[in-house]
Amino acid sequence: MNKIYKIKNMKFYLYTILILSMLSCESKIEEIVPENSITDAVIFSNKEQALSVVIGMYGEAQSDDVLNGTPQLLTEFQCDNIEFVGSFPTFQEVFEYTTLATNTSIDPFYEEAYDVIRQCNLVIENIPTVEDPSFTDAEKNDAVAQAKFLRALVHLQLNNLFGNNISESNLSVPLVTKVLSVTDPNQERNTISEVYDQIEIDLNEAISGITNVDRSKATSTAAKALLARVKLYRGDYPGARDLANEVINSGFSALATDYAFYNTLSSEFIFTLVNTSNDGQTGGQGWSGLTNPVPNGRGDAPFSQNLIDAFAEESGDKRFSELTQQGTDAIGLTKTFTTKFPDAITNSANAPVIRITEMYLIRAECNLRLTTSIGDTALNDINRLRSRAGLSDLSSLTINDVLNERRKELCFEGLRRMDLIRTGQNLRRSGMPNVADSAPGANLVTLPIPQGARDLNPALTQNDGY
Amino acid sequence: MKTKFSGILTLLLAFVVQLTFAQEKTISGTVSDNSGLPLPGVNILVSGTTNGTQTDFDGKYSIKANVGDVLVYSYIGQVTQKITVGTSQTINVVLEEDAAVLEEVVVIGYGVQSQRKSVQSVSVVNAENLENIQGISPQVLLQGQASGVQVVQSSGILGAAPVVNIRGTATISSGSQPLYVIDGVPLNDTDQGTNQGANQGLNPLADLNPDDIESFSVLKDAAAVSIYGSRGANGVILINTKKGSKDGVTRVSVSFDTSITEATDILEVMTASELKDQFVRAGRSIAGLPDGNFDWVDGVQQTGISRNVNASVSGGSQKTSYFVNFSKEDAEGFIIGNALKRTSARVNLSHQAKDWLKVGINLGVSNNSIDRVGSENSTFAPFTSAYLQSPWVLPFDDEGNFRNTGFIANVIAIETLDINDYKSDRVTGNVFVEAEILENLTFKSDFGIDRVFLDQIERSFEINSPDGYGFNNFSQQHKWLTTNTLNYKNKFNEVHSLDILAGIAYEKNEIRSITVEGTGFASDALLNVNSASTPTLTSSSGTNSALYSIFSRLSYDYKGKYLLESSIRRDQSSRFGVENRNGTFYSVGLGWVVTDESFMDNVTFIDRLKLSGSYGTAGNDRIGNFNSLGLFGSGVGASYNGVSGSSPTSISNPELKWELTKGYNFSLSGELFNNRLDFSVDYYDNDTEDLILNVPIPDEIGGPNTITSNVGSLNNKGFDVQLGATLLKSKDFSWYTSVNVGFNTNEITSLPGQNLDENGDEFIQSTASQRAVKGRSVSEFYLIRYVGVNPVTGDAEWLNKDGNVTTSPTADDREYVGSAVPDYIGGWRNTFKYKDFELSLFANFSQGNEIYVDGLRFVENPNSTFNKSRETMLNFWQNPGDNAYVPSSSSSTFATFAQRSTSQLRDGSFFRLKNATIAYNIPKKFLDKMNIFTNIRIFATGTNLFTLKADNLEGIDPEVTDVSSSLGQGETFFTPPQSKTYTIGLRLNF
Repeated sequence: MNKIYKIKNMKFYLYTILILSMLSCESKIEEIVPENSITDAVIFSNKEQALSVVIGMYGEAQSDDVLNGTPQLLTEFQCDNIEFVGSFPTFQEVFEYTTLATNTSIDPFYEEAYDVIRQCNLVIENIPTVEDPSFTDAEKNDAVAQAKFLRALVHLQLNNLFGNNISESNLSVPLVTKVLSVTDPNQERNTISEVYDQIEIDLNEAISGITNVDRSKATSTAAKALLARVKLYRGDYPGARDLANEVINSGFSALATDYAFYNTLSSEFIFTLVNTSNDGQTGGQGWSGLTNPVPNGRGDAPFSQNLIDAFAEESGDKRFSELTQQGTDAIGLTKTFTTKFPDAITNSANAPVIRITEMYLIRAECNLRLTTSIGDTALNDINRLRSRAGLSDLSSLTINDVLNERRKELCFEGLRRMDLIRTGQNLRRSGMPNVADSAPGANLVTLPIPQGARDLNPALTQNDGY
Repeated sequence: MKTKFSGILTLLLAFVVQLTFAQEKTISGTVSDNSGLPLPGVNILVSGTTNGTQTDFDGKYSIKANVGDVLVYSYIGQVTQKITVGTSQTINVVLEEDAAVLEEVVVIGYGVQSQRKSVQSVSVVNAENLENIQGISPQVLLQGQASGVQVVQSSGILGAAPVVNIRGTATISSGSQPLYVIDGVPLNDTDQGTNQGANQGLNPLADLNPDDIESFSVLKDAAAVSIYGSRGANGVILINTKKGSKDGVTRVSVSFDTSITEATDILEVMTASELKDQFVRAGRSIAGLPDGNFDWVDGVQQTGISRNVNASVSGGSQKTSYFVNFSKEDAEGFIIGNALKRTSARVNLSHQAKDWLKVGINLGVSNNSIDRVGSENSTFAPFTSAYLQSPWVLPFDDEGNFRNTGFIANVIAIETLDINDYKSDRVTGNVFVEAEILENLTFKSDFGIDRVFLDQIERSFEINSPDGYGFNNFSQQHKWLTTNTLNYKNKFNEVHSLDILAGIAYEKNEIRSITVEGTGFASDALLNVNSASTPTLTSSSGTNSALYSIFSRLSYDYKGKYLLESSIRRDQSSRFGVENRNGTFYSVGLGWVVTDESFMDNVTFIDRLKLSGSYGTAGNDRIGNFNSLGLFGSGVGASYNGVSGSSPTSISNPELKWELTKGYNFSLSGELFNNRLDFSVDYYDNDTEDLILNVPIPDEIGGPNTITSNVGSLNNKGFDVQLGATLLKSKDFSWYTSVNVGFNTNEITSLPGQNLDENGDEFIQSTASQRAVKGRSVSEFYLIRYVGVNPVTGDAEWLNKDGNVTTSPTADDREYVGSAVPDYIGGWRNTFKYKDFELSLFANFSQGNEIYVDGLRFVENPNSTFNKSRETMLNFWQNPGDNAYVPSSSSSTFATFAQRSTSQLRDGSFFRLKNATIAYNIPKKFLDKMNIFTNIRIFATGTNLFTLKADNLEGIDPEVTDVSSSLGQGETFFTPPQSKTYTIGLRLNF
């Protein structure tokens, strides 16, 4: 009886099989597409998407390890401004001049800088070919020129960290000016002068090409200001002076009247990288994390006694009284900390990349060195800054006075190390530890090419001493 | 014509029924087995009717039937007998054992198979070997149980993900974990837990109840896994849940157990005064450092207490069988703040609706709640911070309130106050219908789902995170699949057995996730992110994948003596490049049951001997969903100042396809000496090609810093040996021992396009200490060789590349110094039974692997401010002649001593008493008197009671890994050790 039942139902089953098999049809596979990403085939197909890649350059640069504080502060404690306390042995190595090539905190300075450079090169190579009638040539040129500014800025940072800047003929990092693919040969290190030359080319193109005037992004003025910095590093004092003078006279920026400008878009800044609470410094060891006392910050980077003493030479310096706080350091002791990067909870404090004060300092230093007074006298420029700091005017000026003002103005902003190297001074003041190790051109003053990078690219030679 | 035929049949049957109607009488009798024992619960049915009965406890029955009726006597495990009713009122029946049923049956892909006839390499771990193991997750039960299956418990954290490798690692960059299939449903196994310092994360199978598991089938060779196609290359683990029986007896089982848990290996760190002495030696000022001393390592540990209750009811009749299970686990770890609570239930039901139609459902639901702790690379991780914290830093202030201790966090305050919850709900199950649509032809349709809902809540309060921190993530993994198979089974001329399977399956996976995060809470009483003044993250994401497959398997044997099996599967997967969407995988296996040959008749000591061999292919699709596409991602990372940005996240490769493993397997297995000895030896040789390398590319190219493509190949070969023996067997005493060992050699055979090392071999730098190297294994430690402290000079000394001693080695002096891949792994079980007592000892071992103890770079750094190991760091060089561990503080090597070198490398071989259980079953005569219980079992179990390991592993657990991927195995960074557990329990059956 059951047999009959079965046979009657054969058709039913055959249909079922057929229907179920059709349910599992192959075309469904093709319907699966990413929901969270855009493919590279279409990213540059319209203006909106293409501009998002331009924004992506700044987004990538927000890494702690690029423009958001870790490399900048590391150079400060390699010098005389910060007494590094506690936390990581890899930072401690640098502080104590026992840095090894395998230092994993230095690794990302190199790796992530090239992430930004790739993004810049993507913009430079692809934006000009975007086919979208609403995307004007002027807008395209602006985007490409911004990318050149950022590429120059990041190459300069790599050059400062990984090249022995005692001589321009020394090796720097590989110069990458196109979108590399895995089939390209391994990149070799260029010389410092080659890297500088390319930086100057990029910056000159940025100066002429950028139309943007938002100081949270690259501007023509910022490119000029950065070029002034580069010329100063290269010892081209007339060039540095004239560019600094141009920037000051452009009116794009103006000296702030007090020190409340940190973490704002004040016209004190020529270029500042804006961080927000939901899109800021990427971790706990950027500007805010290292420089704020426990418990909000890590308490790793208090003032060195030497810097406290430097400020103490003249009483009433507002750059000390208004920009410091007492707090607990990483091992529980009370120390003096900077307040330039206030928010260590969401790490939203901005990165002060270039500000107008530096231009006054460059103009003053170069005028003094060249005994000129282009724009204004060196003395007037320096007294302008001193007066803001609540200090009395100087009546005469030496290079050391300028460098001393420079130190106090720009401490914790990551410029100290190159100022000491370019002026032939040890990174540490006498009486501090590792004075001899920190002599200009000494091996461990230059950071090692990260061993991780060398393992991936055997064409990279190592710096001396590693 | 068919219709006509069935019409006639109906008529005929009706006629027979009419004819016999009048002569009904009562038949009675006894049913017994061939040893004469009465059989209760035997089904007796008047053929062709629904009139039936069962035998009682004494095997007696009575049933009304007519002369000429056929009575069908059936009982599981016995051959069904048919007897025609004659004149006699009494029919006594002896049922013979069914040899075919008694033969062990193994669960294989899409079916079952007689072990005797199988040419596949399958390790079965069955209920009796699972009984004593106190495992919180399914994988843990497998540890040491099956040859060639390496299970490394990554840490002692409750719910931590174990690493499972079957016959070595068959991949470099792709997922290396096997495919888990529960009752035919491949499981979701993406860990969606937040990363809390460790790379290995949580076990995605932690919400499955081990008490549900009847057995595991570990499919190892290509013959077994090729039916799983593109997902088979890492091996397949089939989990079979318990089912009801058909014997009419209802079984109730209730068990309780209670455990206490502590850590196995703890590294001691210095006291405040010891560390201050150390500071002074290092030339560091101790002025201003607080007084007081606190043992943080002790402070983050507790004695964890766990309870487990499990109750099941199973049973059934000839038509319906069921298994219902309920289980509650309430476990506390030995790390403060670590707990796991799981409630789970399962219903497995099958019903023979018609004699040709069967329907069924297997359904498991569970609720799992883990109170998480961080581990490894996180300062919120109890062990990490406890090891590094200065001992003069106290967790409480003078008033007894918690204090914030800064970057090295107050982990006691964190674990006492903060919320860190991981709650999941999981529904896994399938419904099936199985119809014998023609004689010998069965159609089966199966619809399965596996749905995981996860809710993760983190809330860190004011004292630990100033202004407060809140986080909430909802994520879900949803999988559904349909599988339709046709199975034709027949035997021709009594000698040719044929079994053909053909099927179609479609499977779809969806993963979705929503995350919010914020800071700035007015009060610790406000628990959710909606109270945060500053939202720092709002995100939602989703991703899909789908797999469409057709597959077939043919099994043929001649007299059960000559065996042939072949399978084929074609997969079409959304994960692969448009150029390579389809992949076909196949296998062929041959077997020969030698003992069935007549020339073996005189060899009486061999009961069974089987030779088999196979060749086949399988793939690995664990590469993520869209790796073949070049993509730009947006979101916070790429955005800037409130404007949306995009940056490249992957590089396009339209030709991306499966990793393909081609492998041979030769196997010899059998039983000797009247089944006292059983053994199996397998030799395998698996080549994996088209390796998907997701390897780092030179930094200068820029992000994304890896590229995914099919290059490279590797080989795994080795022996799996399994041996079991009943060493003693008498009326009261028995001793059974079994050993399994897996010897595996892993070798990378090519890595085209990668950089060359100094020997000219391609390599991938996987971690700062490890490389995967052509001509060597995937886990080769590449380190500077450390020698020791020179007793004369007090300098630490290393070897340079040339083998000469140096005090300033560089990265160029690194050498290959050992591998994380063991030479062999295995397990050893001994079961002793004396009357009603049972003692079971189970050990697992691993030999010849190195481990890199990364945390030593911190706790053995004499120059840092962190706390240090007491074991080694008190032994410092002071005077010439000192044989010291720590170099002189005036030596230039004092600061570089802790640099990455073989100083942190250890021999990771171990032999561990994994499980020792003593059990007592209350004697039957007492039970019979009580007449309530059929069995009472009382047991005590110790887990990880002792471990044999290298001397310099004092305080360090050798069984560790801080990653679950193939690259970077055998490293630990303050990974919490395994737990040592003492359990007592009771099981009642009635």
